[in-house]
Amino acid sequence: MAIVKWKNKNLYDPWAELTNLQSEINELFNYDRLPSTTGLFERSVTPAINFVEKENEYTVTCELPGLEEKDIDVSIASSVLTIKGNKKGSSEEKKGKYYKREIWSGGFQRTLSLPHMVDSEKISADLKDGMLTVSLPKKEEMKPKQISVKVK
Amino acid sequence: MEKRREIENTRTSFPACTDIYLGEESVVLTMEMPGVSKENLNIRVEKDLLIIDGKRDFGEIEGNYRIREIRPGDFHQEYTIDDTIDRNKIEASINGGLAILTLGLKESIKPRKISVKVQ
Repeated sequence: MAIVKWKNKNLYDPWAELTNLQSEINELFNYDRLPSTTGLFERSVTPAINFVEKENEYTVTCELPGLEEKDIDVSIASSVLTIKGNKKGSSEEKKGKYYKREIWSGGFQRTLSLPHMVDSEKISADLKDGMLTVSLPKKEEMKPKQISVKVK
Repeated sequence: MEKRREIENTRTSFPACTDIYLGEESVVLTMEMPGVSKENLNIRVEKDLLIIDGKRDFGEIEGNYRIREIRPGDFHQEYTIDDTIDRNKIEASINGGLAILTLGLKESIKPRKISVKVQ
């Protein structure tokens, strides 16, 4: 966790106006029609993920519609999780005409550094209805332990 | 005010990423609906309106969210279809979160070749 400087909102910040302008421009094309990962200026073609920390494990959920098992490669090295894959598009030349193309295709890679060591033996990943769920159980020694206090 | 509260109470829905392709025989809609199973995809035609509903049933995972990019909610979109589409030739399939809708064009719309006979 990075340490962020605390800002006193009561003080006049000459940069605030500029920051507001920047965020407004960034939000300009992020209207509700499209998911935020396909904004005009955001050319990051990576599938959206959720990363949830639970008591005993981490769960990574990833949106991968239209992908098959063989297209996805999930690997872990020490505490870095990598989800790689190739999203095939309708690349073949067709006679017709496209009226709308919102679906992106191509290769993608997503790397996540995990906050704690995970038990790499027990990692499981499954794909259902275009959602990839990776369960990463925490190592035994990383789990919070309840220490009972004995009163003598 | 009452109306506003009503809107807030309903689950959010948004349109899925879609490719619309017009071929010779049909209009093909490809929609990305991750998390939608076959049972939860509901497509209906009401007069000139094609309504596509995709319910996502992956439950909210309890825990501490470190990254949250997946938009919670369901997919919903509506398209107006005109008379060129044959209402009886609408087919849909979903496989791995990718829904493909084929809207057949009416016979009268398809390009026809008229052979000229020389007598």
